[in-house]
Formats: sequence, C-alpha cells, structure tokens
Amino acid sequence: MSIVRDAEIAATPTRGGFATLFSNVNRWRVPLSVLALCILPWILPSQALAVNVLIYGLVAVGYNLLFGYTGLLSFGHAAFFGAGAYATGIAIGAFGVNWFAAMLIGLAVAAVLSVIMGVLAIRTRGIYFSMVTLALSQLVYYSALQASSWTGGENGLRGFTVSVLNFPGFSLNFLDPMIKYYAIMVIVALALWFVSRVLNSPFGAVIEAIRENETRARACGYDVERTKLLSFVLSGILCGLAGTLSAMHLSIVPLDSLHYHTSGLIVMMTLLGGAGSFFGPFVGALAFLSMEDVFSLWTSNWQLIVGVIFILFVLYLPKGIWGTLISWWKSR
Amino acid sequence: MNTPIMSVAGIGKQFGGLVALKDVTADFREGQITAIIGPNGAGKSTFFNILSGALKPSTGTLRFRGADMAGVPQHDYVHRGIARSYQITNIFPNLTVIENVRVAAQAFRSRLNIWTNRDLYKDIEEKAAATLASVGLSARAGMLAKFLAHGQQRALEIAIALVADPALLLLDEPTAGMGPEETREMVALIEKLAVDRTILLVEHKMKMILGLSDRVLVLHHGQLLADGTPKEIQANSEVRRVYLGQNDGYA
Amino acid sequence: MTVQLIAMQLFSGLALGAVLIMVALGLSIIFGMLGIVNFAHGALFMVGAYAGLYVAGLTGSFWWALVLAPVLIGLFGMLIERFLIRPLYGRSPDDPLLLTFGLGYVLVEAVRILFGTDGIPFSTPAALRGVVNLGIGFFPLYRLFVIGVVCTVLLLLWIGLEKTKFGLIVRAGSADPLIMRVLGVDISKLWLVVFGIGVGITALGGVLAAPMRNVSPEMGTLVLAEAFVVTVIGGMGSLAGAVVAGLIVGVAVSMTSLFAPEMATIVMFALMALILLVRPNGLYGRAAPGL
Repeated sequence: MSIVRDAEIAATPTRGGFATLFSNVNRWRVPLSVLALCILPWILPSQALAVNVLIYGLVAVGYNLLFGYTGLLSFGHAAFFGAGAYATGIAIGAFGVNWFAAMLIGLAVAAVLSVIMGVLAIRTRGIYFSMVTLALSQLVYYSALQASSWTGGENGLRGFTVSVLNFPGFSLNFLDPMIKYYAIMVIVALALWFVSRVLNSPFGAVIEAIRENETRARACGYDVERTKLLSFVLSGILCGLAGTLSAMHLSIVPLDSLHYHTSGLIVMMTLLGGAGSFFGPFVGALAFLSMEDVFSLWTSNWQLIVGVIFILFVLYLPKGIWGTLISWWKSR
Repeated sequence: MNTPIMSVAGIGKQFGGLVALKDVTADFREGQITAIIGPNGAGKSTFFNILSGALKPSTGTLRFRGADMAGVPQHDYVHRGIARSYQITNIFPNLTVIENVRVAAQAFRSRLNIWTNRDLYKDIEEKAAATLASVGLSARAGMLAKFLAHGQQRALEIAIALVADPALLLLDEPTAGMGPEETREMVALIEKLAVDRTILLVEHKMKMILGLSDRVLVLHHGQLLADGTPKEIQANSEVRRVYLGQNDGYA
Repeated sequence: MTVQLIAMQLFSGLALGAVLIMVALGLSIIFGMLGIVNFAHGALFMVGAYAGLYVAGLTGSFWWALVLAPVLIGLFGMLIERFLIRPLYGRSPDDPLLLTFGLGYVLVEAVRILFGTDGIPFSTPAALRGVVNLGIGFFPLYRLFVIGVVCTVLLLLWIGLEKTKFGLIVRAGSADPLIMRVLGVDISKLWLVVFGIGVGITALGGVLAAPMRNVSPEMGTLVLAEAFVVTVIGGMGSLAGAVVAGLIVGVAVSMTSLFAPEMATIVMFALMALILLVRPNGLYGRAAPGL
C-alpha cells in the first residue's frame, strides 16, 4: 500500500512555500486537530455522528500507528476495541466501579490482550500476520460469545450507564449531548497529543525504519520483534481507549464490536483517509461515517456502496483522501 | 596488531540438502583489509551473512574478540562492533538521506524511548551529519533516499554501516554497478576508512582487490581454496584455474 | 460415552474436515502461485453455495448444481483476477488483500439484495438422504458422500499437479516465479487459471456444505476465519499441509463438541495459537513468506 509519509511530503522539493507550510501544519498538528474537533458538532448534521467520528477517529489513529507507521496490516484490532469496551462495561455494571477506574480497567485489559496477541502474531511475517491477527481476534469474539453470563453473549453487554462524570470538586452531566461530546473530546485530544509525541520520539523513527526496510533496521542494531510488539501494544491500548469511550457513550457493548468486520471497518477508515499520516485516520473516519450516514438514508444496502468505494480507493487512490489532497496541492 | 579480531573455525552451512559452505577456518587480523573472492555460487554471500549474523552456521564457531557469537541475535552484532553494508542497495527509501543515517546512529542511544522528542538528541544528529559528510553526501541530506543516483545510494549504504563506528566493517560488493570513476572514489573511501578499522569485503573487480587488500580468501564450491596475500593468490595455479582464468573478474 | 460414539464423532470430524480442506486448498493454491491472500475467500464460498442453490432451483437437480456452480464461480473468479487483482501486481502484497476484503463486503451485500437477508434451507438430495450402517453405528449418507467427493477432488488435483505439463508449470511457478519468465511461460494466463481453480474449489466447498449448514449471506464469515486457521496450522502454500490441518481441525472440533460443546468454536483458534508458539511457519511451512 502506498502510504502518505509525512517525511516524504516535507522532504519533496516543491515550488513555493509548500514544504514550509506543511512543516508548520505538522508542528501544530495537535492544536489544529483539536480545533477541528471543537467545531465538528456544529458542522455535522447530528451530534451522534460527531461522537462517532471522535471514537472511530481515535481507533483509526491508534491503528494507524501500527499499519501506517510500522507497516503491519492487522485484521484483529476489533479485539482491543471490544475488550476495552467490555471490560469497562463489566467493571461498571457488575462491580459498580466508578467511571475513571473503569476506564483504566478497560485500558489494562486491552493492553494485556494486545501483549498476548502481539507475541503470537509477531512470530509470523508478511501476509501471515494479517491472517493470524484476524483468527486470534475471532478467538476473542467466540470466547465472548460463550462467556455469556459475563458478556451477555449475542445480545451484547447491557445494564450499565454512566450518567455523571465525577471529578474532585465538581461533576459533569454525561447525559447532556454537548457535555458528553466535549468530555470525550478532551480524552481524545490527550490521546492525540500522546500519539504525536510517540511519532516524534526515537521510537517513532525506528518504527518508520522498520516499515521501510526491516532487514536493514535489524542490521542497524534494532530488535525488530520487540519494537513491533511495543508498537502493537501501544496501538492496541489506543483502540482499547476508544472502546472504553464507546461503552460509556452507548451504555451497551454489541458483540459485533469484537468481530473482524469491525477490524475491517478500522482498516477501511484508515485507508480512506490516508495511512501513515497524522490527519489521515480522522479524515477517513469522518468520510466513512458521513458516507454511512448519508447512504443509509437512501438504502439499507449502503455497505455495497461503501465496499465499491473502498475497492476504487485501493485501485486508484491508495494514498487515501488526505494523501491525495496533499499530492494534488503539491503539484498545482 | 596481530591479535585476530574475528576468527571462524570449521564453519559450515546447509540449506536442506544443499551444502553452501563447508569447514571454513580463518582468522582476521585487526587493521587489515581482507577480500573474499570466488566464482558465483562459491558461498561468498553465505559466508558473509554468517559473519554479519544474518545467518547462523550449521556447524563450527564464530568468535569476535574472543567471544563466541553463537547465541548473539543479529541486532546485537552492530552493538558489539560489527557492521555491514549490502550488495543490493538496502536503504530506507522513503526516509530522507540524513534520516537514513540518523536512525542508524540512534540505535546506540535510544531504541524504545517513546516520549522524548528526537530533535533533542543533538549528538546523534551531529554524528549523522559528520558521517554523511565523510561519504560526500552532505548536499543531499534533505532528499528522499530513493531519489539519489545509484552511486550516491551506494555511498549512503556505507554511511549507514559506518555511523555505527564499527571495529569490523563488512562490505558486500561496495562497487556493485559502479562505473570506473565512481569505483575509484569508493576505493579511496575504503582506504580512508581502513586507517582505524578492520575491513572485510566481497568483490568481483579483481584489479581493485589486488591493489586494495592486504589479504585475499578464495572460496570455491563452499570451501576455502586459498588464503594469502594478493601476490600469493595471483601466483596460485589452482586459483588461476578456477577463478582468474575465467577472466570475468578482470573486467 | 461409548467407543462407538467416539468413532462416529471421529467420522463427523472427517466430514467437517473435508469441507475445511476444500476451503483451505483454494486459499493455499492461490497463495502458493500468486503470492496473495484472498480475503474474499469466505464470501466466494458463500456465493458458491448460493450459485448451487440457484442452479439446483433452475435444473431441479443437485448434481447439476454440484458441477455447474463451481465452474460458474470459477469463471467469475477469473474475472476478478483479470480486472481487479491484476492491476495490483507489483504493488505491496497488502493491496490485493485489502481489495479482496472490500470485494467480500460487496459480494455479501449483493447476495443480500438478490436472495434476501434470511437463511435459505438447502435440502439434501433424495438419493443421499438417510444413514448407512458402518458396522459401528449409523452415519449420515450425505456426509459420507462429502468425504468421497473431497477425496476425488484431491485425487484429481494430485494427478493434475504431478502428472500433467500444466501441473509441472504450476509447481515450478510456485517455487520460483522468475523461472517462468525465463522459460517464456505466459505467467498472466497461468495466474488467471490458477485463481479460477482456487475459487472454483472453494465454491465446490460451498455447494457441498450447503445441505449441512444453512445457506445465508453470513455463512462465509466463519469460513474465512476457519480457512485462515487451517492454512496457518498446515503451512501457507502447502497443499499437503491444507489436507492434514483440515483433518486435524475437523476432528478436533467434532471431538470437542462431544466432550465440551461450549469450547467447540474456540478450540480451532486455540490450536492455531499453539502451533504458532511451536512452529510459526505451520506444520508443512517453508520459510515464512514476505522474506
């Protein structure tokens, strides 16, 4: 998959001040993202869509760390999204834990699961990796289906609600749609800041080197397997965080959130937006969910249209929306 | 300077039923330039991959500065002081030229730090820039590596290995695909590098090897056929028969 | 828990394994030759079952369905290779994988539009109803028939690969695609045919499975995961691996459903995890692809 590389865009000689502009945009990428997210609920047709963009945008950003930057095509990230959601829901519903502790539990479960899946999947290479991650995530799916006394089985997990976010000294009404949106947005913004730091760190350089040339990265003295595992786990934790947010937002965890179809949605969103770029995944989530919103009004078979569009992107616009825009702007 | 920096004893390698390398024993002395030659299929690449840790030998032992390297994973070789370049240019194509070298230099400072901004590692950046300057690529630092000309990519290839500041530098056909002018520049570079390190290279260009190296190993059918100074190798009738006589190396 | 019961369950496992073999074979043949993983594989299995249903409805005969549906879907597979996958050769191996994933999405939705979202029962042909006495107990005739068909396909495939010129080219090509160019073989035609055969075998698996499972648009979903599990256990690109792993998984699933039914869907994935720990390249795997 051709990947839009931030480095590539910055390094390619261009007419005018594009490179300067880009490097400025890149330097301010977190504040710019947050600004865009702030106005999102005011420009989108519904507040529900805006929250979905936040949550799935975060999933795609987490996934992009592994796919876009490390070059590993996982088809199992629904497992971490779902595990985060289930763990949070069970912690609140069955154990009456407060929302913040429930989130931490969700993150911890996603982290443990991604370590286990990562250790197994990273033993394989190339195309095997995609198959193995898919199969292992289905193991999680069927385990959740069987453990119905905990998970609610096919009906999904119900019976938990977060109506108030309690902080020391004040509390927020989580049932108010706007307060809910901005509360979730603050967490997403923190996650974006975290990802941005990771990408700027020495580790961020190593994963890109591994994506570019695994053999050479190893010869340069990097433990490729361990680096991949760390990337896998970070990416899993971010998807888990999105899962906990999704659980608190919906007050239900559908069983399907663990299914590999959900992994497929994550892959599609990341790719539609542009893998390997900071803004791409959010653009992808926004585009995908808006398409779903519009097409599902016309027809119940909107997945047909989405599938066709995805195929066309793979064939003709493999850089995704954001990457193609950048290329077009550059060559103007 | 007569202690062997690296020694191989009874090294052999089999792939399934195919014997690629058989019972090779040799010592490499510090400060020397040693060339490994042999016809295609002689086992040079296999030998080279074993020396650099990319392959583990089926039999025999490899020692570096006296330490057995059997249990050492490949990525640790460079940390012990062995770095290699590749025959087929093996760079990071979509990273900038300076980033290619910087990421290689960074392996000695920080590998799994996910939090600090890498721009704060000024020493790494300086080391990368200096290495780039030493191979003559400073003017291309900001370019994407894939846009470099072939000879420049070869130079970058060596810079990536060199930034590790290895005691033992393994060069796999450093002048592959180069014209006479570029070859001359590469030879000058290798001579410069040899001042304070041990170099082992695989090459096809015979004239270059005879002029450059202190010692030549000849591999044939996976076995060590001859081991000596360039003069001795030139005089060796068996070597002339299997290799030099073919004349393909003299081009 | 009698010995007979266990033996019968073993036979059920073989029948289940037989279908798994078909699915994994199709995947493995395509991978071995073209070096791509077909993520639309489960969907094509499902489309095969629907094609069988359609042909059986038109002709009134299960036998026509058994023969025609795989051929039709195999030809459809060739169209997919020619117009969707061929443009991607030379790009990253992830691209065909992503494309076929999207294609699977489209196929499932298309079948929902054409045949509805509900499952459709596919009745066992009259001649294959009933049970046979195997000496140790009564076994459904249809399952025995499935085992027979799969054995026949395996035999034909073996003859085709080992005894014909086409087979020689295919084997040489999967060992080293470069050789084919040197020898002047038109590799794009070969890939077209191999992709068609791989898809056709999968479609046959779909038709065979139809009377045992309900035919529904989602029936391919589990199949894709199953095919991956079998392929990973057997070793990617290895036909012998697909056969052995298919049988192992089939028997393991059917034995688990006897002793611990709640674990039946989980056991094959656990088996795969175990194999990955012990032999990351699978039972018959060569060096991992992507090297």
